[in-house]
Amino acid sequence: MSAATPPAPAPGPVDEKRASFEREALVHLDSLYRVALRLTGNAADADDLVQETMLKAYRAWEQYEKGTNAKGWLLTILRNAFINEYRRRTRHPETVDLDAIEPYSVFGDVQDDDPQGTFFDSIVDDEVLRAIDQLPEQFRETVVLSDVEGLSYEEIARILEVPVGTVKSRLFRARRLLQRKLYDYAVGMGYIKASPA
Amino acid sequence: MNCRECTEHLYEFLDKELTPEVEREIRVHLEDCPPCGEHFDFERLFLDFLQARCRARGAPPELKRRILRELFDE
Repeated sequence: MSAATPPAPAPGPVDEKRASFEREALVHLDSLYRVALRLTGNAADADDLVQETMLKAYRAWEQYEKGTNAKGWLLTILRNAFINEYRRRTRHPETVDLDAIEPYSVFGDVQDDDPQGTFFDSIVDDEVLRAIDQLPEQFRETVVLSDVEGLSYEEIARILEVPVGTVKSRLFRARRLLQRKLYDYAVGMGYIKASPA
Repeated sequence: MNCRECTEHLYEFLDKELTPEVEREIRVHLEDCPPCGEHFDFERLFLDFLQARCRARGAPPELKRRILRELFDE
């Protein structure tokens, strides 16, 4: 061992902050990006929204209780930033009456011919994302947090600041609506025969 | 539990959001009721399909570089 090797400097507070941020926050970059893309509807705004979220999170990193739910904390920052700064110029909250949407399962249409839903396999990624993008915003964000990012009802309720019961009913309607859109698309493309009315 | 009650809990069941007791009641019903069993299987396949289709892509590498530069001045 050479006596000329200088000892490694002890990590300073900045290094530690950076290390813990990389370990607990930056690992969620893909999730943040997927959610941002579905909220804003375009890649350039999604990039900016995610970057801004990470900057805000890094500045507020001392307020985050280490080892708790970093993903939920980051998604809350992202959604607030979206509402405050992006929604106005990208998408507009819908004025449709969401409760008026009467969802019924596609299963009734396919249970005789394709009860296992094999027609879904013919539908490519882009088409699914397009269908999600066409959902009303409140449904879209709920579906993305649940079905894409795998958050619990409780976590989603906290991020969206709504009761758990609201998450449940939005998720129910959103999934049914999405199913219907994808089924109609599959029928249109000839992947599955329309069920007789 | 009858078919209607069972279907009301469909997504909570698939999302594992029910209490163990209700979950058990649903399992018992599904074993005895093939139509409900098929319906639940269909919905589960749909949710798996959604996740597989939507999770394929993550953040572009350039965005990650941009953020690292911005945060740590790299």
